[in-house]
Amino acid sequence: MWAIRGRVVALADDRATRGSSRSTGAFTGRVWIDDDGRIAAVTRSTRPGPRRFDGCPVVDVWPSLVMPGLIDFHNHLAYDTLPLWTEPSQTQPFAHHSSWPRAATYAASTTWPAYALATACPQELLAYVETKAIVGGTTSIQGSPPMNRPRDGWLVRQIDDESFGTGDRNMVLVSVLTATPAALADRANRMRAGSLFVYHCAEGRRGSLVAREYTDAEAAGCLQPQFVAIHANAVDGQDYARWRDAGAVVWSPFSNLWLYGETTDVPGARAAGLTVCLGSDWAPSGTKHVLGELKSARIVADHLGWDLDDETIVRMATCDAGDVLARGWGRQTGRIRPGAIADLVVVRAPRGAPPFRTIVGATEDDIDLVVIDGVARYGTPALTAAAHAPDLTPLPVGRRSMRLSLTRPDDGVTRWTWGDVTDRLEEVRADPRREIEGARARFAAWGGALDDPDAPLRLALDMPTGLGPVGGLPRDLSAISVPPLESLVHDDAWLASVGGRGFHGGVLDALRDYYG
Amino acid sequence: MTRQDVRAAREGEPLGVDAWRTTHLDGGERLQVVDTVATVLAGVYTHLPAKRAAYASDPVQALVLLRRRAVELSDAEFHLAVTGILAGLRDAHTRYLGPAALRGHVAVLPFLVEEYGPPHDLHHLVSTVNAEATSAPVDPGFAAGVEVLEWNGVPIARAVQVHADRESGGRADSRRARALESLTFRALDYGPPPDEHWVIVGYRTEDGSFAEARFDWRVVEPGRAGTAVRAASRGALKVAVDPAAEAVRRAKKLQFVPGLWASDDAPAAPARPADPVPVAGEWIETPMQDVVAARALDDEIGHLRLWSFDLDDDDAYLDEVTRLLGLLPTGGLVVDLRGNPGGLVWAAERALQLFTDRPVVPTRFSLAATPLTRQMAASPFNRMELEAWHDSLQDAVSTGELYAQPLPLTDPAWCNDRGRAYPGPAVAVVDANTYSSGDLFAAGWVDNDIGPLVAVGAATGGGGANVWTLTQLRDALVGTDVTLGPLPAGAGMTVAIRRAVRSGRGDGIPIEDLGVPGQPYTMTRDDLLHANRDLLATCRSLLVGGPPSDTGEAP
Repeated sequence: MWAIRGRVVALADDRATRGSSRSTGAFTGRVWIDDDGRIAAVTRSTRPGPRRFDGCPVVDVWPSLVMPGLIDFHNHLAYDTLPLWTEPSQTQPFAHHSSWPRAATYAASTTWPAYALATACPQELLAYVETKAIVGGTTSIQGSPPMNRPRDGWLVRQIDDESFGTGDRNMVLVSVLTATPAALADRANRMRAGSLFVYHCAEGRRGSLVAREYTDAEAAGCLQPQFVAIHANAVDGQDYARWRDAGAVVWSPFSNLWLYGETTDVPGARAAGLTVCLGSDWAPSGTKHVLGELKSARIVADHLGWDLDDETIVRMATCDAGDVLARGWGRQTGRIRPGAIADLVVVRAPRGAPPFRTIVGATEDDIDLVVIDGVARYGTPALTAAAHAPDLTPLPVGRRSMRLSLTRPDDGVTRWTWGDVTDRLEEVRADPRREIEGARARFAAWGGALDDPDAPLRLALDMPTGLGPVGGLPRDLSAISVPPLESLVHDDAWLASVGGRGFHGGVLDALRDYYG
Repeated sequence: MTRQDVRAAREGEPLGVDAWRTTHLDGGERLQVVDTVATVLAGVYTHLPAKRAAYASDPVQALVLLRRRAVELSDAEFHLAVTGILAGLRDAHTRYLGPAALRGHVAVLPFLVEEYGPPHDLHHLVSTVNAEATSAPVDPGFAAGVEVLEWNGVPIARAVQVHADRESGGRADSRRARALESLTFRALDYGPPPDEHWVIVGYRTEDGSFAEARFDWRVVEPGRAGTAVRAASRGALKVAVDPAAEAVRRAKKLQFVPGLWASDDAPAAPARPADPVPVAGEWIETPMQDVVAARALDDEIGHLRLWSFDLDDDDAYLDEVTRLLGLLPTGGLVVDLRGNPGGLVWAAERALQLFTDRPVVPTRFSLAATPLTRQMAASPFNRMELEAWHDSLQDAVSTGELYAQPLPLTDPAWCNDRGRAYPGPAVAVVDANTYSSGDLFAAGWVDNDIGPLVAVGAATGGGGANVWTLTQLRDALVGTDVTLGPLPAGAGMTVAIRRAVRSGRGDGIPIEDLGVPGQPYTMTRDDLLHANRDLLATCRSLLVGGPPSDTGEAP
């Protein structure tokens, strides 16, 4: 049991917690965290917590902000070591999600290197990309690569796989590739039975061919509250209006503009009563984590003249997303209130700083502490020590030396250093062919059940594989080149790679204003 | 490897007590075997519809019936029953591997029997003898050239015929060819050990009298060459091979050319492009001697022997074949694939370009359209390997197609990335033991109009599929509703997973069972005793004109 004291951005929906904070969005108070990973209480000012918390440590971060952990509702983690990608020969925005996988450089730039890392060093790959997420204050993320054996979260909460220890893998169903009408109908019934269904739906330019994916979903009965349509940018407010039992759409402004030059009709979705969540998509066409996507949302909304205030944008990555997840999980995230899961972030802020503008403008340098399931997992040396974060390894993040709680995922108790992770990734980068073949030999040597907890971990890629020979990979694996690992932060090199590339018409150049 | 090591390897061990009888599977373990084999056959076996039709039998139902009585059988009876059901498919790709006790072993007798003459007048000759076999001193009268008359007291033709009934092969001649081979060599991974511990051979001596000789079965471990395809390599799922025939090929090499066998794992000598034109009749030294050999027959005609495609690095293979071709006379080439049991599909199909200026079109492969293959193609874990068949498998639900769209395993660009290496005309020679990737090579040879194809017997062996091991299949079932555990006692199986159909001139024709017909040729006595003399003469006539051999059947 412990507590955090700071300026609490509760985003609570219960009056007792919310109080009159709606006017400013934050109040000075304490968040009491129980040993079961849930929030026991939220108290204002100097009011005491529950009696059983008497004498427990209180980590004081005031005047910094204590807010719900960020929820990245759309990603493809297996690709998140890669740089931004564009097709050199492409002069017009892509039409839809089946256009860019046919680009000449796509497979070699995305599929092949991701395959090498996912195959040869799956644990290290997940450690790297989850760390990249947590550095941006992410506590839940969608887009976990399919795996051969269950994995109940590890560093960042995996929306696709999370079962809260129950082993129930049907809480959230996911489909990246276009589903058949029959499969959609099955999902419709699974949603009626309580699952959440996250579906890549109608991703493309407005009115393009893939808009029919939305009508297919509608015909199948998928337009339910439990349906989460990722992107859905090929349709508009009129289509959303038919979704009467309103669900959610996931908005990835950076990726949409990068690939298509236009984005989801957010005002139309909101007018139809849909919940809008945020997702950073994937590294080849997205920001580094959802903290970056907050800024993309701000920039794009301003560019398009949409009436979205900072609080609305923050809610997309916190309470609104948490409410949608609660429809499948039966547990609340994204809000700071009693009973909710204690996924929290401390954002550095000066006294009196407006909370939502501060959050939207925050960079990796401002994320001082990340708490997941009530346990401090990442933060400054001082705060992680004060919060008794376990198994810490130093982690360089931008100009700061941070601390990361890192244990080997195969046993969950052995301390793992960041250097171990990156060294192994570099080994694979240096000789992908040797490492892929070595991994294949390990798979072949495994004689037990493939879903056994001790089986070698296998990850699958969840994006289109692109043009290539049957078998997807080059005949000679030596032809695979894995680019240098992308840094964890939106640094100068990454910002430089945004300008003059993609189809955003310079709109996203404004990101530099936040990171400059 | 020392000379003693080679001698010991060649000598092997007595056949001894049958491991199939000593490795006990309890009732539950037998059900695991039966259920796994049934799941594989019903779920992914690519030839199941064709085999049901061709042989009027249902292996899946046979397994259902076996399941009811599996517990009542002895161990040997059980394994024989499973083996028998799979043998009934007549498919050398799809085999049951019994308990692991004899894994990698081949039972051998120290000689080879081959046949010559037309089908109605077949003669069986001892063509090669390992005179150094010490376990059973060979009668001096039992030498290459003697005619075999009886086998354990049974007339030899009948003995071969009886054995052919247990063999794979979709045609009578291909079954007989395999039966003939298995008289003296049997891969114990894929079939039962010989029932008898020794063999009494009745033969006609040189002076025309009748004699008998007794030979004990021995068991050797021929291993695989260092150049063979590796389980973890990129091409491991692109293999088309008769694994039993490959093991037998290796065992023959150990028995009859032990020096070459011993050098299989020696470091490869660097290629020597500056080699002089070879001496006629002498094989050119090559670091890939396990799979290829080349020699000049004279100053006009070359002879390229493609023993096998069991190799890991198809680029290195093509480099070496190209080098060898550059050393051969350019008046014509005999490309000899007899007995080639297959191997890496890429090697076979890419090699075709070395003999032609025409663009080479590879064969194409498809999965059987079943609920399980649909799941496999949809599994995210199979994106790289099977995604290309996904849409057509889905469509098959509504179209009723039995197969997915046929697609090449060898990218057409790879089949044409080097170009012609041999400038002269070429003729290919195959037989009923030319199998799998050997079949693919022959199909490509004919369908791309590269040159004449001479078939000893009626056609190639007719192995038209890409073959996977049970381990590879288990791996590919991740993400589906089906999970297969490892089989007890190290048992396993191989299965034809993707059916091959021909391209180009033979577009759409399956290879399985049919094989690839060529210009028929009947082996002669001189062929068996004098290094294929008549066969090569026939090939020469095809290359340079002139009359064919007097004794070989006219093309």
